[in-house]
Amino acid sequence: MSTSIHKDLGKIRAAAQQLHAAISDAAAKRGGAVKADLEAVGQKARSVTESVKASMEAQDETAKKHLKEAVADLEAVQKHTSEALKNSGQAFQASIRQSLADARASVQKVSEAVAVKRSAESHKGRK
Amino acid sequence: MRNYIAVIFSDIGQAYKGLHALWQLDAEDEITVHGTTVVHRDEWGEIHVDTKETQPALATAVGVGVGALLGALAGPAGAAVGAAGGAAVGAVGGGTLGIITDAVRADTREEAREETAFVLNDGESAVIADVTEEWTTAVDTRMRELGGIVRRRAWSTLRHDAWFSGYTPDNYLYPYEYIPPGDRI
Repeated sequence: MSTSIHKDLGKIRAAAQQLHAAISDAAAKRGGAVKADLEAVGQKARSVTESVKASMEAQDETAKKHLKEAVADLEAVQKHTSEALKNSGQAFQASIRQSLADARASVQKVSEAVAVKRSAESHKGRK
Repeated sequence: MRNYIAVIFSDIGQAYKGLHALWQLDAEDEITVHGTTVVHRDEWGEIHVDTKETQPALATAVGVGVGALLGALAGPAGAAVGAAGGAAVGAVGGGTLGIITDAVRADTREEAREETAFVLNDGESAVIADVTEEWTTAVDTRMRELGGIVRRRAWSTLRHDAWFSGYTPDNYLYPYEYIPPGDRI
């Protein structure tokens, strides 16, 4: 059971990492990100948010706290990505930059939950 | 314990092997890697930071943030140089980046003994990472096998470093293994 939760968190972290990569790839595009890139980012952000929410119940309190924060960050990714779709020029760049920072923060939070889980397993293994 | 680490290598190829090895340790559940980047100091003393080709506004933010992080890893006195110099931090310091860590500022004497300054000489490369590690042996052993020298500063100490006000160092590290296309080995 515990190993399965651990694996699920690993998959969620991988998905959040891919989300960050997709946003930074879009931001790095010459001529700027196109609408399709941002729509795909928004969709991916929604999907990762749902996965994090679904995994929360099975976690202990510390990991759950990190995952709740990750959900808030992922919702911010969705908000700023949809703002980017409506904006242009400097406002567009600001939204993308914010979206990238939110995605980075979300990976960080999931990663912290993974560390909590690994630490707990490691202590269990030593007993 | 959560630490910022800098692993110094004599050449760039080994630094990428070191980067890969760190993420491999994460995959093996030995440590948890929260973010990494690779920096190089060229023969003229300039620091180059691996980053995706970004729009200018993003590129500037990355440079300043990593500069602050490098300075902080170099110790409190180095932080002043890092925060002010951004990505060009390596141009300052007369050949080396890194000043002896001010042990007094570490939270405890025990911690101070563990913490060492980060020094990057001309021509060297380093992997900078934010990691959670239950013990330091896994990273130290793997990096030593690759010819790397590991320097650490506790995450909590560094986060409270006054020079970091205004910068969030984690935002400037890639949360996954990123190697620029031209440098893939």
